[in-house]
Amino acid sequence: MADLLAPQLSAETPAPDWLEARRLAGKAAWESSHLPTRKTEDWKYTSLFALKQPFTAATESSESAQEIGLDLPQLSGSRLVFVNGFWREDLSELVPDAAIELLRFAEADEEQARLISEHLGSIVPNSKHPFSTLNDAVLSEGVFLRILADSKAAFPVQLVWHNSEQTDAAINSQRLLVLAEQRSEATVVEHFSGQGHSFTNGLSELILEAGAKLDHSRLHLESADALHIGGLHAGLNRDATLNSFHVAFGGKLKRVDVVINHRGRGAHCQLDGMYLLCGQEHMDYHTCIEHAEPQCTTDETFRGIIGDKARGVFNGRIHIHPDAQKTRAELSNKNLLTSSTAQVNTKPELEIYADDVQCAHGATVAQLDESMLHYLRTRGIPSDEALILLSYGFINALVEKQRLEPLRDYLKPRLAEYFGSAISAEPDYAAS
Amino acid sequence: MSQEQIDRAIAKDYAAGFTTDIESDTLTPGLTEDTIRFISAKKKEPEWLLEWRLTAFRFWREMSGPDWAHVNYPEVDFQSISYYSQPKSMEDRPKSLDEVDPELLATYEKLGIPLHEQEALAGVAVDVVFDSVSVATTFREKLAEAGVLFCSISEAVQHYPDLVQKYLGSVVPRKDNFYAALNSAVFSDGSFVYIPKGVRCPMELSTYFRINEANTGQFERTLIVADEGSHVSYLEGCTAPMRDENQLHAAVVELVALDDAEIKYSTVQNWYPGDAEGKGGIYNFVTKRGLAHKNAKISWTQVETGSAVTWKYPSCILRGDNSVGEFYSVALTNNLQQADTGTKMIHLGSNTRSTIISKGISAGQSSNAYRGLVRVGPAAKGARNYTQCDSLLIGDKCAAHTFPYIESKNPTGVVEHEATTSKVSDDQLYLCQQRGLDPEKAVSMIVNGFCKEVFKELPMEFAVEAGKLLEVSLEGSVG
Amino acid sequence: MLSIKDLHAEVEGKNILNGLNLEIRAGEVHAIMGPNGSGKSTLGHVLSGRPGYEITQGSVEFLSKDLLTLDTEERAHLGLFLAFQYPVEIPGVSNMEFLKASVDAVRESQGAATYDTVSFMRRAREACAAVDLDQAFLKRGVNEGFSGGEKKRNEIMQMMLLEPRLCILDETDSGLDIDALRVVASGVNGMRSEPRSFLLVTHYQRLLDYIEPDFVHVLADGRIIKSGEKSLALELEEKGYSWLDESEVA
Ligand SMILES: Nc1ncnc2c1ncn2[C@@H]1O[C@H](COP(=O)(O)OP(=O)(O)O)[C@@H](O)[C@H]1O
Ligand SMILES: [Mg+2]
Repeated sequence: MADLLAPQLSAETPAPDWLEARRLAGKAAWESSHLPTRKTEDWKYTSLFALKQPFTAATESSESAQEIGLDLPQLSGSRLVFVNGFWREDLSELVPDAAIELLRFAEADEEQARLISEHLGSIVPNSKHPFSTLNDAVLSEGVFLRILADSKAAFPVQLVWHNSEQTDAAINSQRLLVLAEQRSEATVVEHFSGQGHSFTNGLSELILEAGAKLDHSRLHLESADALHIGGLHAGLNRDATLNSFHVAFGGKLKRVDVVINHRGRGAHCQLDGMYLLCGQEHMDYHTCIEHAEPQCTTDETFRGIIGDKARGVFNGRIHIHPDAQKTRAELSNKNLLTSSTAQVNTKPELEIYADDVQCAHGATVAQLDESMLHYLRTRGIPSDEALILLSYGFINALVEKQRLEPLRDYLKPRLAEYFGSAISAEPDYAAS
Repeated sequence: MSQEQIDRAIAKDYAAGFTTDIESDTLTPGLTEDTIRFISAKKKEPEWLLEWRLTAFRFWREMSGPDWAHVNYPEVDFQSISYYSQPKSMEDRPKSLDEVDPELLATYEKLGIPLHEQEALAGVAVDVVFDSVSVATTFREKLAEAGVLFCSISEAVQHYPDLVQKYLGSVVPRKDNFYAALNSAVFSDGSFVYIPKGVRCPMELSTYFRINEANTGQFERTLIVADEGSHVSYLEGCTAPMRDENQLHAAVVELVALDDAEIKYSTVQNWYPGDAEGKGGIYNFVTKRGLAHKNAKISWTQVETGSAVTWKYPSCILRGDNSVGEFYSVALTNNLQQADTGTKMIHLGSNTRSTIISKGISAGQSSNAYRGLVRVGPAAKGARNYTQCDSLLIGDKCAAHTFPYIESKNPTGVVEHEATTSKVSDDQLYLCQQRGLDPEKAVSMIVNGFCKEVFKELPMEFAVEAGKLLEVSLEGSVG
Repeated sequence: MLSIKDLHAEVEGKNILNGLNLEIRAGEVHAIMGPNGSGKSTLGHVLSGRPGYEITQGSVEFLSKDLLTLDTEERAHLGLFLAFQYPVEIPGVSNMEFLKASVDAVRESQGAATYDTVSFMRRAREACAAVDLDQAFLKRGVNEGFSGGEKKRNEIMQMMLLEPRLCILDETDSGLDIDALRVVASGVNGMRSEPRSFLLVTHYQRLLDYIEPDFVHVLADGRIIKSGEKSLALELEEKGYSWLDESEVA
């Protein structure tokens, strides 16, 4: 394995002192850890072979938004933009909102530093995912969003990590901590995009205190050559509600672990996701819902369309701990293969240690409904167009569920573009 | 229902737990190449089979046990097991039932398996395996008339070496996994079946396995070959005495269904599960796999109530176009039993179809996992799978898990998997009690209803036995 | 046959029955009416021993036995039958299998001979026909996928086969069309006999047009606030329950 640590250390902007201990601990943990192999159950279908190449330090860019192909949803509200891991003040925007505090770790005052130290890493099981220790090891730049107790953010907050085209494969890391205090409400959009073949090691943490409500979206729109290993960890306390929406186009290697910890009675999570792959892309979503407390609920839906020679992986685990009685958890994963060289591996998992629970999961790999296709064709719609329409419908249901209108408006034409290129490519599918 | 009532309902005894007092030749524990030479010589095996075993042994020494299953047990000491035990009276295989030691016959009588043909269940031929040897095979002549070969595998090696050599290891290669390699090296006995072209086997075939001797492992090997267009239904039952030590059972079953053939394989597994504190019981580590050629059908039905630890995935390789695989399973765990069981359906040919119906019941402090793989290969055009996986929990100390792996490489395949979890609801119990049923009866009835889709796949006599077995196994689980 | 004295009962800490008194003699038909939530179903469940209902005061004697000390199935063995307002589904357990087990258990406990399978099946088919249920229902899972009306008729069919001493029918008429109502009523009327008593919980006079009660009671706030002859039911139909509030309860 290439050295993933050294190039980042050399490029590093110094971490604030109060983060230094965590950084060193991360460094030590990373140095003593082993990267998973295909024999590791959680990495059975995803090879880290693509990381076996030399990486260089990411370089700061001063190019314009247009030059680096930055193309964002039109959200009102604050926006922090990082390019190649470096903050770009000129592209960012801060809109005053009394309900929130939005800052980079380096800007934290004493109270904020205390809060960050208290919560950062508190729900990330380091042992499980060595990449999170790597993230800690290079910890310097990070974003902290705090939503103050009993208040509601006036605008959505947008966080953008974009990579520009760089000659060598560059490595950088991303970190976000959201602290939604008691009974607060907010909307957050994480946006990953870019050009070229850089590798991003991302880690985001969402802490929802009692009664907090958070609408969260995470878009992976990086280039087809991009590498991304990311983790999203959420901790939900009593009666907290999280809506988390995930969209991914593929990359050379993309793996995102979404871990939801129900840590307080009555918490609820709605988790939706879609992956749309083509070319030689590889996308692996691993979701894990930890029901550690009674009376929590989870509704999870992931759908994938995989074309060309792409490979989709989905692993959805629901873990009901002893005494987590009256849990209701449902998971559905549906996949559509649109070419004879595409493949998908899916594994919904239930691990149940309490009896008074309602749990169900379902997974399918199938085609579009023949009778629907036929129906559209009898109405004069050509078969490839009918396929696109139906495939679009297959995932659009999830987009329509999202409350943020500008986000829906942003996604729809981009999805349509994907269908235009990926679906009509193989005419015999329509005929079969 | 109170915990006390539930406990009472589940605490019945393991009825097959007696030992047979019989003199046996039991090999000193330990496993070396000499052990294998000894077994092979004892069975007067041809050279090729000895070599085959030794190669398997060499593979095995390089391998390590599976660690991915959701089960926990202390490491097995393979040197403390005896790999061969046979009743003294079996030194020369009896020519007919009249020569079989009456003590042995009494054992099977007690287990409800009369071996005298006139008393036997009409229409079921039985091969009984006691520790490492086959004791008797009934109805042989009648089967021979139809051209069906049904005998112990040791006899088959002597009489039909070509068939054995051709198919042994052809479905489960020696290197397949740790326990399959071990079995290939030390297998002692088991059943062999060959159904000629176009023949519908005139009766159900069945093998009854019994471990009697202490500290012995049972490593039986079963091979069933159904030639083109033939049809056979085969049943397997197992029991063992109650002992405080754990005993190992590592079997391999290979099924070959040639073009247009059909094999139905049913198992009622009731190895000793250990006591309520988890002491003793059988480690049941079994590899079962069938290969289906063109238009062939392989159907596995299993009712698993016994064993301390079960690790077992009866599978179908659907190689031929239009072949069909089925897996119907009821797995019940109680007390401290652990099961990790399921199936693999490997779709290679086009228009292959598979159905998986799995019913897991967990009671006591047991752990019950379904693990299944459905793979649709690139050439498996139009392949279809439907999987339904239901878990029923009885009490709040047990665990139920579902790990289905779906791998698809063909856009025209359809794979559907569904899983649910439920408990015996208080309202259901109340309705039954209001209609006069006691809680134990009510639970066993509800559990039987939960398993109905699987039971209806079993041959009639087995279905009745399976229902009773569930009732006994559930004893003490109602609270 | 049934004697309820000063019965108080609560569910999840909530008082539902508050000093209920009721006397039913052999052969009598009693109807209980009352507003929603007044405790009618609770009374049925308390009598049949549903877990979760706590008796805080009072006594119930049934056929000279202290009913409250018995398990649910022991009460059933004595001949107490409750036709549920909302019968639960038991997937996979066929109606026939369930009926046989139930009738066997009750008869065995009473020292009566159990029916052999053939004659039991004949009886079951007759009972099916009597409530106008297709025989296919005998093979289906208990209440599994039955419509509301089918579930109710299934309850009456079970009642016929079990031949209980006291039949409690909890809103068996609700949700039935007029034909089904006639079927249920004729089932009940056919079973009326000297040793057998009925307790009908209903909202509607129309059931009582078909099954004539000997007594009508009004249950409100967990107590019987008025008893009378069948004319009381007509009065209730006309005036609703509220006139009682002023005249009796206040
Ligand atoms: N399991 C329960 N938990 C809490 N309250 C209950 C429960 N069952 C019934 N109740 C309450 O008891 C009251 C009487 O209910 P019920 O006997 O069903 O009324 P009726 O049958 O007269 O409509 C209602 O207020 C109802 O909400
Ligand atoms: Mg009611």
